[in-house]
Amino acid sequence: MSTLNYFELLDMTTGFDIDLPHLAEQYQTLQKAVHPDKFAHASSQEQLLAVQKSAQINDAYQTLKEPLKRAEYLLTLRGVDMPSEQNTFGDTQFLMRQMELREMLEDIKHADDVDGALFAAQEELATESQAIFTLLQQQIHENTSASNQMACDNLRKLKFYKKLDIEVERLEDSLFDD
Amino acid sequence: MAYSEKVIDHYENPRNVGSLDKNDPSVATGMVGAPACGDVMKLQLKISDEGIIEDAKFKTYGCGSAIASSSLVTEWVKGKSIEEAGEIKNTAIAEELALPPVKIHCSILAEDAIKAAIDDYQTKQGK
Repeated sequence: MSTLNYFELLDMTTGFDIDLPHLAEQYQTLQKAVHPDKFAHASSQEQLLAVQKSAQINDAYQTLKEPLKRAEYLLTLRGVDMPSEQNTFGDTQFLMRQMELREMLEDIKHADDVDGALFAAQEELATESQAIFTLLQQQIHENTSASNQMACDNLRKLKFYKKLDIEVERLEDSLFDD
Repeated sequence: MAYSEKVIDHYENPRNVGSLDKNDPSVATGMVGAPACGDVMKLQLKISDEGIIEDAKFKTYGCGSAIASSSLVTEWVKGKSIEEAGEIKNTAIAEELALPPVKIHCSILAEDAIKAAIDDYQTKQGK
């Protein structure tokens, strides 16, 4: 099996900034090259390799197209010691803010102007997560052991915001269901 | 996934939900979170001068197992000394609630919340 990393596999420069349309193109081209139809008359060994390659290309694409997964993968490539997702996060100030944001979401359904409150909440979440994302981007570019460590921390914070986005979607569904 | 009866009981009738005044010097606050699922847990303990936990409140945003774990912990710590409370292990919580392996991290979160609250108390007392 190849030992190319996901960036190399899709013939992209290894780094956080990525040309997404180009990534999609590369993915399509490579997938076509290993399409089962092309191996209809090949040996079973070659067919198996093609299937494995196809799965690999797919994993690479799914990882690289999503910014948080891409960041995590890149940090892992750099040998950064990523704390397990199961590890407890103990930044009190950050978590207090998360509580407040959760409470804000809870209050939306009691607001006089539900649409307005929902919109304001979405804006607030987007602003905060964008600020952390910008930091993450800078720290990944800086690429020192200290900055990579801080990037890890921000990556974990962004996972909480991702969860909040899911909560907002759920809330939207429940509010506008009827 | 099927929750155990005890988890459902705590989830439907959570004990000690709420907040204590975090500025009260005898109140310790432990905040913990789990990036994997985005759960956030706040555990507050009111501790007497003798180091006995007189009251406990929690607020948790998360799945049923996370809510049940924190609810159970508030019941367990009341009346205990902070040393005794600090010895509560996630395995005991997981066992009591019959948590499946994928939910063990919820019990770890609850154990860490107790530790975080005790740390906060010691910091407050040290001042």
